[in-house]
Amino acid sequence: MITFEGVTKRYPDGTVAVDHLDLEVPAGQTMVLVGPSGCGKTTTLRMINRLIEPSSGRILLDGQDIQRSNQSELRRGIGYVIQQSGLFPNRTIEDNIATVPLLIGWKKARARARARELMTLVGLDEQLARRYPYQLSGGQQQRVGVARALAADPPVLLMDEPFSAVDPIVRATLQDELIKLQAELHKTIVLVTHDVEEAIKVGDQVAIFRPHGHIAQVDSPERLLAAPADSYVENFLGFDRGIRRLSFLAASGLNLDDRTVVEEDTAASVAARAGRDTGEDWVLVVDAGRKPRGWAAVARLDSLPAGSPAREATLEPYGHTFSVHGDSLRSALDATVLSPAGRAVGVDDDGRVVGTTSYDRLRVAIHAAEQAADRSAAPGNGTAAGAQRQDTAAGTA
Amino acid sequence: MDWSAVPTYIWESAYLGIVPALLGLVISVPLGIACVRWKWLYPPVLSGASVLYALPSLALFIVLIPYTGLTDTTVIIPLTLFSLCVLVPNVVDGLRSVPEDVRQAATAMGFGALRRLAQVELPIAVPVVIAGLRVAVVSSISLASVGQLIGVSSLGYLIIDGYQRDFVTEILIGGGLIIALALVCDVLLVLLRRALTPWRPRRGRRERAQILIGDPAVAAQAGGAG
Repeated sequence: MITFEGVTKRYPDGTVAVDHLDLEVPAGQTMVLVGPSGCGKTTTLRMINRLIEPSSGRILLDGQDIQRSNQSELRRGIGYVIQQSGLFPNRTIEDNIATVPLLIGWKKARARARARELMTLVGLDEQLARRYPYQLSGGQQQRVGVARALAADPPVLLMDEPFSAVDPIVRATLQDELIKLQAELHKTIVLVTHDVEEAIKVGDQVAIFRPHGHIAQVDSPERLLAAPADSYVENFLGFDRGIRRLSFLAASGLNLDDRTVVEEDTAASVAARAGRDTGEDWVLVVDAGRKPRGWAAVARLDSLPAGSPAREATLEPYGHTFSVHGDSLRSALDATVLSPAGRAVGVDDDGRVVGTTSYDRLRVAIHAAEQAADRSAAPGNGTAAGAQRQDTAAGTA
Repeated sequence: MDWSAVPTYIWESAYLGIVPALLGLVISVPLGIACVRWKWLYPPVLSGASVLYALPSLALFIVLIPYTGLTDTTVIIPLTLFSLCVLVPNVVDGLRSVPEDVRQAATAMGFGALRRLAQVELPIAVPVVIAGLRVAVVSSISLASVGQLIGVSSLGYLIIDGYQRDFVTEILIGGGLIIALALVCDVLLVLLRRALTPWRPRRGRRERAQILIGDPAVAAQAGGAG
């Protein structure tokens, strides 16, 4: 656990980068510091490994004042990943990764074996081990940077805009892999970014900074989106936070409609009736294995010759489906918006159709899920660390 | 004319070219490190090196004769001082060529200042330092021939002897051998740099051409110094 107690950083020219910061980073969690440039988030990060020394206040690492520890030893126990990867151009990939193990006195063979292990962990081909950094792509270099930071298995990982120098597609992949890695390793991670989407995506907790080193709000991403502390936070999160919040609500809460799902061999007249009976203009045609085929308009089914099966109607593409077990309400809403029928197809883990959505069904599910989330996040309910911090922050702001 | 002594002259020229450059390097590395560490130190050091470089070599030889006699040392000391003018700036530039993010990453991983210098900064400075060494060696080889005037033997002998005997061929051969020796040393240094820096992106064809005809800057320096 990392604790900031009234930490201030004032530069000789009078600039205050961080102002009486109180912050708690729980062990094994990812804390994202996000804010506009010049808000003090990077200064805050760099004070943890003493690249920058605070002017006043204390920073505790597992209860120990870091000011009292040996600087180099402290740093060897804290992994550090930066934007430009900062790889040593004169060392091979494996020797870059082995840097800290070698610094703390491991034998070369052991350090290199560890480097290979980490390459596999971060998804790098072992054949790259003897290459030099200039021979790697930006995304690969960033992976090496992460591997290097993890080499000596430090409990704490600091990441300073780790993904902002790579293109958006690579960035999304690296973010996904960080989340996966963290689920396995449970490091205490402090990550700085100016990208609020990234913060919401990778953070267990997100600290939103105001200019001049004040914290506006610390909370889980769900809580931030649901209950921004003030208009600054609300603006910072962006105008579509309502939609984004749906990412955190499971689609399993949807009550899906299976009355308008018809098998392709069903007679067209029967299929058309299923639509009319439920007041829908479209029915979903599925195959014998309940895999979706496409949407058939009721009017279209009516115009088919008597006795022909439903599959002979022109089928409109059903677009992307959503999984009723894994996906969020955001995914369900998106699929609904994109569907020609204004209804989306929910499938189970095997891709079989469970039922279809409608805007009404979504509205009911969203309302119920939001209420449930609000109830579970209410103060006094266990997960209130963020809320407490938020109060502290509001007090100092 | 006795040509059997020519190999000895070549060896002497090489010796008088390489030793001052190496001694210059030994002085320049700590001096350059100090100039990077304490920025205020660099301007006076740079001016000092330039002033030294502006001194005529022959005058320096004569000043030194009472102390070091008609020996190699009398030639090596001035040439060493001259080499500082290219080597100190190259050590400084080399150290400054270390990207800030690399320096910061090293610090953050727990390198102390000395270790960072030895294991990260100096290795990364190598290409720029060797570029300076190339200029220093080539200009020392040229300048060493002036030492012949005070009796310190080198390929310069062929030039002075040819002049005294009005034997143009000997002068041309002497000059040609000096240039050839300078080019060979230059190529060897390029090869050394390549061996020491496998981590640098290869520039391919362009570099190969450069190794054959020599770096234009180095060639100009050799011509000017001779």
